[in-house]
Amino acid sequence: MKDLSSVELAALPPILQLRAVSQSFGTIEVLHDLNLSVARGEFVAIVGPSGCGKTTILNLLGGHIAPTRGEVVRDGKARMVFQQDGLLPWMTARQNIELGVRHLPQGSARDNKVNELLALIGLRDFSEHYPHQLSGGMRQRVELARALVSEAEILLLDEPFGALDFLTRLRLRGELVRLLQEFPRTVILVTHDIEEAAHLAERILVLGERPARVNCELRLDAPHPRDVTDPIVVDAVRRILGEMGLRE
Amino acid sequence: MRFVRGVDTRDFSNEWSLLKSFAVSQRSVSIWPRLLLPAVAVAVALAVWWVLSSTGVFPGTLFPSPADVWAGMSEELRTGRLFDDIVASLFRVVVGFGLGVLLGVPCGLVLGHNPLARATFLPGVNFFRSLSPLAWLGFAILWFGIGDVSSMFLIFMATFFPMVLATLAAVAGIPSIYFRVARDSDLSGIELLRRVTLPAIMPQLVTAFRVTAGIAWVVVVAAEMNGAQEGLGFAIIDARNALSPDLLVANMVVIGLVGVVLDQILARLSRIPSLRWGFER
Amino acid sequence: MKNPTVAYVAGAIAVVAVLGVLRLKPWQNKSGPTPIVSNANTAQGPTVSGEPQEVKVGFLPVTCHLTCPVTDFATRTSKANHFASMRFTDFPTVVDALKAKRIEATFMIVPLAMKLREQGVPVKIVYLGHRDGSEVIVRKDSPAKDLRALRGKTFAVPSKYSNQYLVIRALMERQGVAESDIKFVEMAPPDMPGALATGSIDAYFVGEPHAAKAEMDGTGRVLYYAKDIWPHFISCALVVHEDLINSKPEVVRDLVRGIAQSGEWAETHRVQAATLVAPYYRQKEKLLKFVLTTPPDRVSYRMLTPTDEDLQKIEDAAVKSGILKNDVPIKELVDRQFIPKDIKPANIVMPAKSGGPS
Ligand SMILES: Nc1ncnc2c1ncn2[C@@H]1O[C@H](COP(=O)(O)OP(=O)(O)O)[C@@H](O)[C@H]1O
Ligand SMILES: [Mg+2]
Repeated sequence: MKDLSSVELAALPPILQLRAVSQSFGTIEVLHDLNLSVARGEFVAIVGPSGCGKTTILNLLGGHIAPTRGEVVRDGKARMVFQQDGLLPWMTARQNIELGVRHLPQGSARDNKVNELLALIGLRDFSEHYPHQLSGGMRQRVELARALVSEAEILLLDEPFGALDFLTRLRLRGELVRLLQEFPRTVILVTHDIEEAAHLAERILVLGERPARVNCELRLDAPHPRDVTDPIVVDAVRRILGEMGLRE
Repeated sequence: MRFVRGVDTRDFSNEWSLLKSFAVSQRSVSIWPRLLLPAVAVAVALAVWWVLSSTGVFPGTLFPSPADVWAGMSEELRTGRLFDDIVASLFRVVVGFGLGVLLGVPCGLVLGHNPLARATFLPGVNFFRSLSPLAWLGFAILWFGIGDVSSMFLIFMATFFPMVLATLAAVAGIPSIYFRVARDSDLSGIELLRRVTLPAIMPQLVTAFRVTAGIAWVVVVAAEMNGAQEGLGFAIIDARNALSPDLLVANMVVIGLVGVVLDQILARLSRIPSLRWGFER
Repeated sequence: MKNPTVAYVAGAIAVVAVLGVLRLKPWQNKSGPTPIVSNANTAQGPTVSGEPQEVKVGFLPVTCHLTCPVTDFATRTSKANHFASMRFTDFPTVVDALKAKRIEATFMIVPLAMKLREQGVPVKIVYLGHRDGSEVIVRKDSPAKDLRALRGKTFAVPSKYSNQYLVIRALMERQGVAESDIKFVEMAPPDMPGALATGSIDAYFVGEPHAAKAEMDGTGRVLYYAKDIWPHFISCALVVHEDLINSKPEVVRDLVRGIAQSGEWAETHRVQAATLVAPYYRQKEKLLKFVLTTPPDRVSYRMLTPTDEDLQKIEDAAVKSGILKNDVPIKELVDRQFIPKDIKPANIVMPAKSGGPS
C-alpha cells in the first residue's frame, strides 16, 4: 500500500508463487495448471463463482494442503482469515487477539499492542466479551485484528465479509484499508463479491468454472481509500461482469 | 455521526443494549417460576399421595403413607444414620465418578485423536459400556472386599466407559478450523491441549459430567449391594430386608433429592464464562 | 480462564477431602476400615490366648441367625474375643465375602455350605442356627389344605439352595404331587409377603420373620409349620473357614460356645431377645416378638448340634434335586469338636432403652 508504482513492485522478488499447480480431490480436478505470482505488499483479489476453487488456492498458498502437481513458493509467514467462526469461542476478544501476538514477549509490550488494536477496531469496551456476545461484524473485526497484529507478512482472506450485511460489509472494507495503512501486508482476498474486489484490490484475477483458470486479470491503480462509486471502481465492476458474460 | 476513534459505533451500541436486555430478561423471567412451579408440583403430588393412602385406595401394605415415611425419615435423621449414609454414598460416588472422569477423559482424548487407537479399542469400550455394573458385583467383592473400594470400583465401571465415549465424540466433533487457527498461532503439544482441544470439548464434557454423574448416582443402590454396611443404597436394600417400606421410601426420597442437588451443582459448571458459548445460540 | 479452572479443581479436591474425612472419621480410632482378624498374614502371628480380638461373623436379619447379634452383644465388652455381627442382605454376597476371606465365619443355609464344599471352598459346619422357624404360607382366603391344592400354582422359595426348597420337594413326593405340577420361583424373602398379597404368588416357604409378616399383615396364613413336615427342621448353620479353625481353634471354640449360650438365653428370654436384636436387624420389635412367641415353639434354639443323620438327609435331598452333583462326605463337612458339653444361658444384661449396634 505504500506508494510504490507497479513498475517498482514488479521489480521486487515475488512473495507468493504458484507454478503450474494442479489440484485434484479424488477424480475431480479443481485447479489445472495454474500460475500466479504476487509481489510483496500487493493486494490481490481473486473472484470467481462459488465452488471454482478459490478456497483451495488459499489453502495451497497457506501451506495447509500440498498441490497434486506443480510447486508453491512462499517467502514469509501466512495467516488465514475465515468467512466466519475463525475466533476461538472460549476466548474473549482480547485473548483471541493475543493469539496473534504470541511472537512478542509476554508483558506490557504485548498488552499495549493488543490494546492499540482493540482501540483501532473500536472494540475497547468489548475486549472481555466472548465471540458469541459479539455481532458478526465485530467478530470479523477481531479476526482481522488478530491477523494484522501477527508477524505474518501475508494475509489470506477467505471471503472475510461474506456473512455480513451490505452496510457492515462496506464499513469493514473501509476499516481493512485503514488497518492495512497502519500495518502493511501482502493480501490475497478471495471473494465472490466483484464490487468488493474492485473496491479494495490493486489486481483482480477472475477465475472461470472448474477446473479454474485465470480468465482475465485487471489492474486498478487508484489510490486508497477509494469510494464504491468511484468511476474506476464502477468501471472495473463493469469490465469483470463483461468478462464473466453477465452484462445485459 | 458519532465516532469513537474514527469508528462509527452506532451499530454496536444497538447490539450492546440488545445484549444487556437479553441477560436481564433471562434472569427476571425465570427466577420465580423456577422455584415456585416445582414446589407447587411437589405439594400437589404429596397431597395426592396423602389422599390415596388415608382413604385406603392405596393400603399401607402396598405403599407407606406420607406420615409413616416422615416418621421413618426423622428417625433416621435423629440417629444420625441418614447423615452417615449420605456421606458414605457421596464419598463412593464422588471418588468412583472422579476416577471415571480423570481416566476416561484422557482415554477419550487419545481415542478421539488417534484413528488407530480408536479402531483398536472402540469395540471394547462399547462392550464394557453395555455391561450392567451389577454384573461385576461378585468380582468386586472378590477383588476389593466389602465396603467402599468395591463400591467405588462398581461406580467407576459405570462411569468410565460413558465418559470415554462422550470425550471421544466431542473430540471427533471439534471443527478443524480451530486447529487451523491454533497452527497459525504456533500452538502445539500441551499448550494445544490446554488452550484449544480441552476448551473446545468442555461444554460437551460438562453435559457428559451431568449425565454420567446421574448414572453414578443411580448405580449407587446396586453398588452398595456388596455387603456394604452404610450408604443410601445399602439403606434401601436393608429397609427392604427389614420389611420397613417407610424407611425404604424415606431413603428413596433422600436419594432423589441428593441427585437433584448433585445435578444442580454440576449444571453450574455451564455458567463458567468461557463455557457459555457451548450453551447459547 | 486459568483462575476459574484452578478454583474448580481445588473445589473438587476439597469436596473429596471433606467427604473422605467425614466418611473415614480419623478422629475415631476404632472405626474406619477395621482390619479383619486372621487374614492370611495375621493368621501366622502368635495368638496369645486372652488377647482380645475382633472376629466378624456374617448374618442375615432372619431369626435363624438370631444368636449371632446376641453373641455380638454378649461379647462386646468382653476381655476375650468380640464376635462382631456383620449384617448382610443376601447369600451370594455372603459367599463372595467368605471366598475372599473378608469374613471367616458366617451363618448360611446348609445346602449352600455343601455346595461351597463341593466347589472346594474349605468351609465347615460347626453349629446350627435354630430348629424349625420356617413356614409354608398361603393366602388367608386360600382353601388349600395340602400341597395337592397348589397344583398349577406359583410357589416361592428363597433359593434353590435352601433347605426349604428341598423339604417341600420331599413333601410333594409324599403327597404324590409331580415336580412339574407346581411352578417354583426364587424370590428374595422380603418380597414374598407383598407378592402373596397382590396375588403374584400363591404360596411361599421361607424362614422367619418373613412368614410371620404375612400373618401379621392379615394377608396370609400358615399351611405347614416346618416341624410338621420335617421334625427339627434345619435351615441354617454356623459355617467357619478352615483357615480360621487351623490357625485359631480357640477363637472358634469361643465363638461356638458364645453362640450356643446365646441360643440357650434366647430360648428362655424370648421377649427380651426380640428387643435386643431389633436394632441389629433394623426390624420392628413387634414383628420379632410375634415370631418368637406365637406360638413359642415356632422357633427353637436348642438341639443345635448337627448330627450326621440331619446333614445326610439334607444332602441326599440336595443330590436328588440336582443342586449337588456328588456326595460330599459328611465328616468332611462338619466339625463338632468346638461344641461345649453343657450349655448355660449367656449372661446378658439388657441394654438401656436406646441400645443398639454401634
Ligand atoms: N478436501 C476436499 N475434498 C474433496 N473435495 C474438495 C475438498 N476441498 C474442496 N473440494 C472441492 O473442490 C471444489 C472447490 O472448492 P473450494 O476451493 O472450496 O471452492 P470455493 O471457490 O467456493 O472456495 C469444490 O467442488 C469442492 O467440493
Ligand atoms: Mg470457499
